[in-house]
Amino acid sequence: MEDNLEYIDDYFQRMLNAEEIRRFEQKIAEDPAFAKEVAFYLAAKQGLKAEAEKEKKERFKQLLSQQAPVVNIDGDRNTRRIWIYRMSAAAAVIIGLFFAWYFLFPGAASSQQMADKYINDNFTDLGITMSSRLDSIQTGLRFYNDGQYDSSLKMFEAVSQRDPQDYLPKKYAGIVCLKIGNYNKALQYFRQFENDDTLYSNPSLFYQAVTLLKRNQTGDKQQAKELLQRVVKGDLDGKEFAEQWLKKL
Amino acid sequence: MNLFNKPTLSTDERDIIDSITQNGAGRKKGEERLFNRYAYFIKEAIYKHSLSEEDAFDLYSDTIISAIEKIASGSFEGRSSLKTWLYSIFHNKYVDLLRKKTTNKNSIHHTLSISDLLLQVSDHSKTIVQKLVDKTDWEILRERLVQVGESCRQMLLLWADGYSDKDIAGLMEYKTSDVVKTSRLRCLEKLKQLYRKT
Repeated sequence: MEDNLEYIDDYFQRMLNAEEIRRFEQKIAEDPAFAKEVAFYLAAKQGLKAEAEKEKKERFKQLLSQQAPVVNIDGDRNTRRIWIYRMSAAAAVIIGLFFAWYFLFPGAASSQQMADKYINDNFTDLGITMSSRLDSIQTGLRFYNDGQYDSSLKMFEAVSQRDPQDYLPKKYAGIVCLKIGNYNKALQYFRQFENDDTLYSNPSLFYQAVTLLKRNQTGDKQQAKELLQRVVKGDLDGKEFAEQWLKKL
Repeated sequence: MNLFNKPTLSTDERDIIDSITQNGAGRKKGEERLFNRYAYFIKEAIYKHSLSEEDAFDLYSDTIISAIEKIASGSFEGRSSLKTWLYSIFHNKYVDLLRKKTTNKNSIHHTLSISDLLLQVSDHSKTIVQKLVDKTDWEILRERLVQVGESCRQMLLLWADGYSDKDIAGLMEYKTSDVVKTSRLRCLEKLKQLYRKT
């Protein structure tokens, strides 16, 4: 039985080759006792992880008790007053900077706002029914809609690794990255299916443009503009938005 | 000096990250430094979001635990400062908490989240295994963990916390990682036997 645990451990430590992985997964489906062993391995690790986290929390609680009290209303009054002055001064500076920026670079704020609006309108919830062929995709979407972006990304990344030809997990992984502000990674995912000509409608270029407008680093706006022009020219996904946005950029 | 080329992480932040990624004896210290450094988030959550002290502590410690896991696995890319990155995790967890409070007010039953490891299993086999995992009696498993003996317990907890066999060998003074692997699997087998006896 210990041998089984070693075999299972090797699988989850990614020490098996492709053929061995295939045989391992087949064994789960065909041998209920083996499936039970695998389930125990996972349950044990999951339970142990929860236990380790519980101990860590206890340690953190002790650390916190060694610090100054978390809530100290009397001591906070003076600090608060100082903060109000500081915040007022900072607000005045920010307003000044905003106006200077707005008049010097018209359109800079609006391009990011356009991207924000698009992301809020289209990527707040993702339709579960978009793909019914993969369990994992559906689970990933459910995680996303529940706001569990880490689990959602892990799920899409795992599907993408297993099936590198499929564009859908890459698209969703890109959307999760965009949503959590990891723009470079989002761009990497969107670029991966840019040349997939098997798709009836390919949103890659448009999503890249949205990401660049949202990131708003030096040169991003120009690059986004070029991508949007390609979307319009190629009659690609997002064409209507691209046409409207190009007028404003 | 070009402001745009300014390094994102301060020396102190880099130090904390290094001690956590090294996964050795310094990791615990690094975890504690990370916790202490931004502990004022708790106060902020109490004032700004009107959370109870307990909820604010849970929110912050969950943030730190999640950050430690990401740093140890190398997923933190250091593209933003540690504070900005931590705050985004903290904020997402706050939104999750609000969502849970509004949608699941009366639920006191907490299930363990899906194991990350299960993500690498193909869909068909995953469904079979997930159903079996769902049948686990977590309370009994926790009780049995005490019975495996302190050394086994410590080793298994380190393993579940993301330490490699090599790291464990260093921390628990074993000669090699192979010896740790054999001992770890023996401990796991012992835990399984104890669990199945019930």
